[in-house]
Amino acid sequence: MIRAALIILGKDLRLRLRDRSVLLLAVVVPLGLTALFAAILPDDQPRGITAAVVDADGGEVAVGFVDGVLPALAADEIVTLVEVDDEAEARREVAAGDIDVAWLIPAGFSDEVGAGRATEIAVLVTAGRVLPGEIARGVAEAYATQVGHVGLAVVTAAEVAGSAPGPADVAAAAEQAAATPDVVRIVQQATASGDRLDSTSYLAAGMAAFFVFFVTQFGVTGLLEERQQGTMPRLLAAPIRPGAIHLGKIGGAFVLGLTSMTVLAVASSALLGADWGPAPGVAVLVVALVLAALGVLALVASFARTAEQAGNLQSVIAIVLGLLGGVFFPVPGDAELLRIASLLSPHGWFLRGLADLRATGDWSVVWPAAGAIVAFGIVAAVPAVLRQRRASTW
Amino acid sequence: MAKLLIGTAPVLSCEGLQKSYGDQPAVVEVGFDIAPGETFGLLGPNGAGKTTTISMIAGLLRPDAGSITVAGERMSPTAAAAKGAVGLVPQDLAIYPDLSARENLTFFGRLYGLAKQPLRTRTDEVLEVIGLTDRAGDRAGEFSGGMKRRLNIGIGLLHRPRLLILDEPTVGVDPQSRNAILESVEQLSGEGLAVLYTTHYMEEAERLCRRIAIVDQGRLIAEGTRRELVATLGEQDLVRLEVFGDAVAAAEACAGVEGVRSADVEESTVVCLMHGAGSRLASLLGAVAEQGATVTGVEVREPDLEDVFLHLTGKALRH
Repeated sequence: MIRAALIILGKDLRLRLRDRSVLLLAVVVPLGLTALFAAILPDDQPRGITAAVVDADGGEVAVGFVDGVLPALAADEIVTLVEVDDEAEARREVAAGDIDVAWLIPAGFSDEVGAGRATEIAVLVTAGRVLPGEIARGVAEAYATQVGHVGLAVVTAAEVAGSAPGPADVAAAAEQAAATPDVVRIVQQATASGDRLDSTSYLAAGMAAFFVFFVTQFGVTGLLEERQQGTMPRLLAAPIRPGAIHLGKIGGAFVLGLTSMTVLAVASSALLGADWGPAPGVAVLVVALVLAALGVLALVASFARTAEQAGNLQSVIAIVLGLLGGVFFPVPGDAELLRIASLLSPHGWFLRGLADLRATGDWSVVWPAAGAIVAFGIVAAVPAVLRQRRASTW
Repeated sequence: MAKLLIGTAPVLSCEGLQKSYGDQPAVVEVGFDIAPGETFGLLGPNGAGKTTTISMIAGLLRPDAGSITVAGERMSPTAAAAKGAVGLVPQDLAIYPDLSARENLTFFGRLYGLAKQPLRTRTDEVLEVIGLTDRAGDRAGEFSGGMKRRLNIGIGLLHRPRLLILDEPTVGVDPQSRNAILESVEQLSGEGLAVLYTTHYMEEAERLCRRIAIVDQGRLIAEGTRRELVATLGEQDLVRLEVFGDAVAAAEACAGVEGVRSADVEESTVVCLMHGAGSRLASLLGAVAEQGATVTGVEVREPDLEDVFLHLTGKALRH
């Protein structure tokens, strides 16, 4: 059965490679659209930076940051400050992508700085919001440096108090203060469930996910084409199991889908600077999405009577699922209904999985998204299989 | 049912085949044998059940009842050994237009399990047989209708089947290609291949088929050699009267003339099967004239397969 399926798969791939349209849909068009959209929408530029600060300390050093530094940034329209009640809310907002960044100042921060002991400011960053994250981190680091200089001056002054300091005294005191570790460390935390990649990566992944539903169509509708061009009876008359024909077609679609997405991931990274995240996680998501596409297309093929009909149905479904999943433009953080709707699309889960992957760098975080994508495919494939079993073979 | 076996055991043996689609019977109690080297004709109008019968014999459909044995193997959709003994040439072209002739042959040869080198050799042989050696590397989609038909047949022959099923292989083919196909079938039959041949063209059946079965409404209503089938009409003459006027009324009048066994209408022609046409022709013409119709032409001859078919089914074969 496997041998016969491979023979059919090989024939189909040969035919598809001769059909230039598959190359257009699999590589050229998605890559071209990604480049075009990326040029129109440069990374992160259209949106300002929305930020929040949680001051759990309330001391003088913290107030210096909250009431001194941040209002100046807001006045210069570098950031838009959003009020949050506590750290938990800040984390929720960042995780949901409703705000880009949040600074967390821990309780006792001012006392620790005053005593010269190490403390930290945490910077929460929505996954994929690279530029806002860098700006927020830079702001915090600049303030930490200022705090460090003030601390150094205080320590130096204390060392020389009560006597007229000579140059050697000042130098020794400064050297001692400088040798101590930074008082304020900046710890950046990207959220694991954020939903944004940088524009180019988002568009490349979105286009790949969108077009894979068209590319795999070539394999699945192949069954209908075999019937239309009269070759199905000849295949069924051959001394092979009928299941080998289906296996060959599905295998061909799988190979085409996988190849398309792999080429796009590599090409968009090499040519457009996209970053999909760690390869193992990307591979899991890509395999899951191709399987989901096969499930959906199998369902379409079971309803359609001709390859053309299947192609039309497939196009409608691919566009609807793509739009729901936000493949062209990210779903706005404040559009709750759209965010829920995106979960009804494998495209949405795919992009969410990639965002988690990019945010954490841990490929194992993609399993929930991959599971949801595969479940989508299974839900579509089961009725397709049942319908196929009832259908006549000729 | 009479059975004629040319060689030893039959290559194909069908018994009591039945198949229904819902409540609609498509094939009812059909049975026949084909011997090695024999070309067996299956004649019938559209919807007679020929394609369903062929589908069951080729293993595409499972019969509701009855049995099919090919080369000693019981046929079913999962019977690889039996399927390997059958070469199917469907009525509709079953080739890949974007593959070359050689690639088409190679693909199906591999599906039938031919190993690489034997397949290459056999492909060359078949290309020679179907006259496409010079065009082996060209896309099948660029071929003429006749060349496509020949490739369609070549694929069915590639794996050296014991039984070749040809379903209307000359439909839409130019006379030259048609003749080439018929010559090929004669040659293959001469080499010992059993052939099941369906056609609308009576002259093809008469030229190729040693035995012929006539099917109508899913039933096999007659089977035998051409001579045996014509003999079922008895020592009768066929009279064709070209009529100007009400042909139906003229036929009804003819049916009442002594010696007339049947009178049917084909467009404006009344076709009478009768005894002693020479002595009763005047009565026949008189009966037509009484209906106010005018006879514009008369033909008297011995009946052929077409007449047998018309007599048995009440309709012309090419309906």
